[in-house]
Amino acid sequence: MLIDHPLLGPRDAAEFVYLGDACLIDRPDWTADDAMERFHDYGYVRDNPADEHRELWFHEQGDRSWLVVTRNVSTHEILRVELARDVALERGQDG
Amino acid sequence: MSQVNRISGGQIDRGTELKFRFNGKWMTGHPGDTLASALIANGQKLVGRSFKYHRPRGIFTAGPEEPNALVELRDKAHREPNTRATMVELFDGLWATSQNHRGSLEHDLLAVNDWFAPFLSAGFYYKTFMWPKAFWEKVYEPIIRSAAGLGRLSMQDDPDTYDKGFLHCDLLVIGSGPSGLTAALVAARSGARVILADEDFRMGGRLNSETLDLGGMPGSDWAAQAVSELSGMDNVRLMSRTAVYGAYDHGIYGALERCTDHLASSDGKPRQILWRIYSKRAVLAAGSTERPIAFANNDRPGLMLAGAVRSYVNRFGVTPAEDVAVFTNNDDGWRTAKDLAEKGVHVAAIIDTRDRAPLFSLPDARIHMGAAVRDTVGRKGMKSAILTNGQVIPCGALAVSGGWNPNVHLTCHQRGKPVWRDDICAFVPGNALPVGMVVAGAANGQMTLAAALNEGADAARKQLEELGVVAAEYDPPQAEDEPRECAAFWHLANDKKRAWLDLQNDVTVKDVKIANAEGYRSVELLKRYTTLGMATDQGKTSNIAGLAVLAEESGKTIPEVGTTIFRPPYTPVPIGALAGRSRGKDFRPYRLTPSHRWAEAHGASFVEVGNWLRAEWYTQPGEKGWRDSVDREARMTRQSVGICDVTTLGKIDIQGRDAGAFLDKVYSNTFSTLPVGKVRYGLMLREDGMCYDDGTTARLGDTHYVMTTTTANAVLVYRRLEFARQCLWPDMDVHLISVTDGWAQFAVAGPNSRALLRKIVDQEHDISNDAFPFMACGEITACGGVPARLFRISFSGELAYEIAVPSRYGNAMVAALMAAGQEFNAVPYGTEALGVMRIEKGHCTGNELNGQTTAHSIGLGKMVSQKKECIGNVLSQRHALIAEDVERLVGLRPVDRGRGLIAGSHFIAKGASKKMANDQGWITSVAYSPNLGHSIGLGFLKRGHERMGEIVRAVSPIHGTEMDVEIVSAHFVDPDGERLRG
Amino acid sequence: MADFTLTSEPPLAGTQTTRGSVRLSAPESLAIVSVALPLGQEKPACSAIESAFKLVFPDPGQSTVAQDGTRLVRTGPDQALLIFEWPTPDAESHVASKLKGKAYTTDQTDVWVALALEGPDCRAVLERICPIDLDPTAFAENDAARTMMEHLGVLIVSTGKDSFLLLSASSSARTFLHALETSMFNALGEGGA
Repeated sequence: MLIDHPLLGPRDAAEFVYLGDACLIDRPDWTADDAMERFHDYGYVRDNPADEHRELWFHEQGDRSWLVVTRNVSTHEILRVELARDVALERGQDG
Repeated sequence: MSQVNRISGGQIDRGTELKFRFNGKWMTGHPGDTLASALIANGQKLVGRSFKYHRPRGIFTAGPEEPNALVELRDKAHREPNTRATMVELFDGLWATSQNHRGSLEHDLLAVNDWFAPFLSAGFYYKTFMWPKAFWEKVYEPIIRSAAGLGRLSMQDDPDTYDKGFLHCDLLVIGSGPSGLTAALVAARSGARVILADEDFRMGGRLNSETLDLGGMPGSDWAAQAVSELSGMDNVRLMSRTAVYGAYDHGIYGALERCTDHLASSDGKPRQILWRIYSKRAVLAAGSTERPIAFANNDRPGLMLAGAVRSYVNRFGVTPAEDVAVFTNNDDGWRTAKDLAEKGVHVAAIIDTRDRAPLFSLPDARIHMGAAVRDTVGRKGMKSAILTNGQVIPCGALAVSGGWNPNVHLTCHQRGKPVWRDDICAFVPGNALPVGMVVAGAANGQMTLAAALNEGADAARKQLEELGVVAAEYDPPQAEDEPRECAAFWHLANDKKRAWLDLQNDVTVKDVKIANAEGYRSVELLKRYTTLGMATDQGKTSNIAGLAVLAEESGKTIPEVGTTIFRPPYTPVPIGALAGRSRGKDFRPYRLTPSHRWAEAHGASFVEVGNWLRAEWYTQPGEKGWRDSVDREARMTRQSVGICDVTTLGKIDIQGRDAGAFLDKVYSNTFSTLPVGKVRYGLMLREDGMCYDDGTTARLGDTHYVMTTTTANAVLVYRRLEFARQCLWPDMDVHLISVTDGWAQFAVAGPNSRALLRKIVDQEHDISNDAFPFMACGEITACGGVPARLFRISFSGELAYEIAVPSRYGNAMVAALMAAGQEFNAVPYGTEALGVMRIEKGHCTGNELNGQTTAHSIGLGKMVSQKKECIGNVLSQRHALIAEDVERLVGLRPVDRGRGLIAGSHFIAKGASKKMANDQGWITSVAYSPNLGHSIGLGFLKRGHERMGEIVRAVSPIHGTEMDVEIVSAHFVDPDGERLRG
Repeated sequence: MADFTLTSEPPLAGTQTTRGSVRLSAPESLAIVSVALPLGQEKPACSAIESAFKLVFPDPGQSTVAQDGTRLVRTGPDQALLIFEWPTPDAESHVASKLKGKAYTTDQTDVWVALALEGPDCRAVLERICPIDLDPTAFAENDAARTMMEHLGVLIVSTGKDSFLLLSASSSARTFLHALETSMFNALGEGGA
């Protein structure tokens, strides 16, 4: 697979390490009354879609960027690649 | 034997004679020959025995689809089984032997299997060897194992080397036949970066095997001209002897280049290279493969595909026999008759299944329209063919054509499904092609020459347009659209005799019928039950006819039955090529500590810790075993001073305005309050509340920390910190960079460590207990101005320091420390003594932080702050993790001090029976303590902290041991920590 | 005067191999210091770098070179490596003093080992281990990439028409050298291509 890095262009997936669902960016508020439940869901509950999936990849043998890769897990088509930091900053502003 | 079947013409160098041996017999051939063509030239019809029935078999094809002519190539350690004689380029001194026979090829003892054929039909394994059950392991399996398989491995290390590589191009053209060449010419003349790959050693594909004219010259001449033009262009890479075997995601292709297989010796250079080709676009011009027709005894040596006969006659200048008959269901088969006749070979008959007018007539050739061959005669070589109309045709060879299958394989490697075309009675590529691929020529069902040439050029133009490259003007040469009509005729029913579908796996029409009758009606099940389409040829000549029989039996059409899934590789790839350089000590990288050379010179034995090689102990003269060395190292360190290379611990440089606040989030305890010049132990949790990693972090400046991690987790912790920095707290100013390899770091431990270091650390730095107390750190200089870092930390529990210098000085530093320590009898110690001392001190490592334990269970529950946000603190408070009866870290010693504890043993209360329900915990680490004189251990025990002094049983069912152990504090040595503060 | 002195022993010091047109050598006295841009203060940091070293902070995937040969290689969104000749082990304090606290600096000299590969056939050597497209049309002079070769992390910089600088971890220096030397032999043979 090739991942089209937003800064560096297409790079072999072998340079990357996969983590999992990009929902891991949305870490719950630890002060919430139901923090325990929220962290439980954050840690253990995942959707398992057959097509489009937003996932986290780390460019470990590259520029050390965490990326959010939107990938069709059935066809491996990669639809969008973003810097996770940008995604996280945007979330911060929304939230 | 002379080359009795050599005829005129062909693309071989008759001026040069090559000698080779087959089954010990010397034969001759010429450059340009394959082993197969040379064997045919020498009149060798019988070349192997079939897989199951050990039937005599001959050369069947002229290409990669060969099911029969598998030979062992070369000798001794170089021996390679199951190579296809049709793909082996002849060289002087080549040594080949036939395989899969017991005794000689001519008199194979296992040919007896052929007589037992009625018992060996589809599924015989599952039926025959079921009873009696006890026979399976003792009788059946050994017999089957000794009879199974084809060629023999040398059972020696492969003396050849292999390599891998990476290539990039705008356009990859797969196949150098007519469509591949026009595609490559268009793209190359347009300036695109082109790779043209072909499995054959001679480019040109079928053009080399046919007599069709192109632009007024023989096709093979035109091909040579095109290849010559391409080879002169800088933007083109021609890769002959290179099989593109797989189409992977996003335009990546796998290819195997056979670099030295055609040479007598590879001179140490890689025999084969496995290439990963990154293509922006690809044109698949893989051509097509001819298929046979099934009838009784259609596996005789001398029976050959009609197109293969043309290859041998036209390209190699050999004929399979003096008299050849042709059996066809299509127009293309007739060209074999024509080409044979033009070379002066007698065509005994043309038998066409179609009831129509003959395409042409030949003198001396009997023509039978609307007829078929129903049987053959001649066990070790074709003698005659018997027709459905009762005629007997004497012939030394029978050329059979059942039509051609487009080579759709690579179009299906990403789950694409081929679609059926009735007009050519074959599957063609479907719509779901791998990204960036266009198919051209025969591979796409364009079965005539003119159409293939045009489609190749068109395919390239289409791809160039997508790449934004202006296509150069190009007109493909003039060629004819030769007649290619084909009838669907797959097999002749015959209930008594076997009609072969899959020659490699000895699968007959009857086997497919049995499978269907027994319910194996899915094509995937059919394959597994009958083995149709398995092994080296993957059913290239047999699959479609097999599907046709299944379709007929199940009352479906062929497209309804469908094909099995095509997976890489298209042709066999040796395991050696897949391994590449990764063998022996090059299997993976190795990392050396800065003091490695010194350690090697001083008796160190090394242990692999991840990729690192670390000294595990240093053997002194007179020491009889490792325990002698380890005991001495641990004892001497506690008595005076020891030195250990601890460079392998991960070191991460952390800087930024928010560095302290960031550490508060990733560690369970607080670091923002740590004063500059101090070190603190830190514990990291996973988000689920389990322990993750631990280590010390030093504060070197307001915005500057240096973290250490465990050796094993260095990479993982770094990755996780980057995740925290970029994804969780992206608005913090924090910067991370690994400095693990940059600093050679040595633990200097023991009561004399300060005195030793006083001689190393430059005088202006005060390292007295007052000025540099426990958990102090500082940037200093050593040995006359070399920048260094000093940390007063202790893993051993002794007065101890770690000193770090730039790693280029590491080897010199260990020597300097040892020299300075001479007056104290300083010892170097390895990882084993390190382990002994940390167990004596009750410090945790990976054995304890194994992913099942929490801060609470290792006795550090209070370190997990609930007053700040940090990874893992919320879920660490889950009831089950902090309940009263969870396992807690304890120290252990055997009641019988003479016995040794066994790690992995489980705790059972005295008097309770040994079962899981009574399990109370387990032993994680054990060591012999030379300081205490007996075995000690660490472990986790339910409510362990409340059970000091209690005796429990430690049981290891694996070792078959059981012993009484006493629960004690994990701090065996200096429990109050007076030594390390002294 | 100290009682003990330390000799510098860089792992690949003295390496020199030639095969055909290609020469492999370990540059001497190369210092490497990482420079990280403080969040929100990137512009002043870049200006400080520019005035201190006469170097523009390079775009991702590139490096810039000063007249004295000092090279700044972009290695991450907010990070670059400054590579320059500096024989003594105080390269970081030298850089830090010139940047006056405008950027975070870390000494990386001993973290890495460097190998220079040059000669007309050097791409034929590298294609055996490097997944990056090194064709001049795809990887121009001064382009840089961090990637993986033979399981090792490697930073590769195009330093000239047919020359590359490769950096990899110092602890695995021997594997790194072996990877390059094997590639030279495999691609060029005894005499060269």
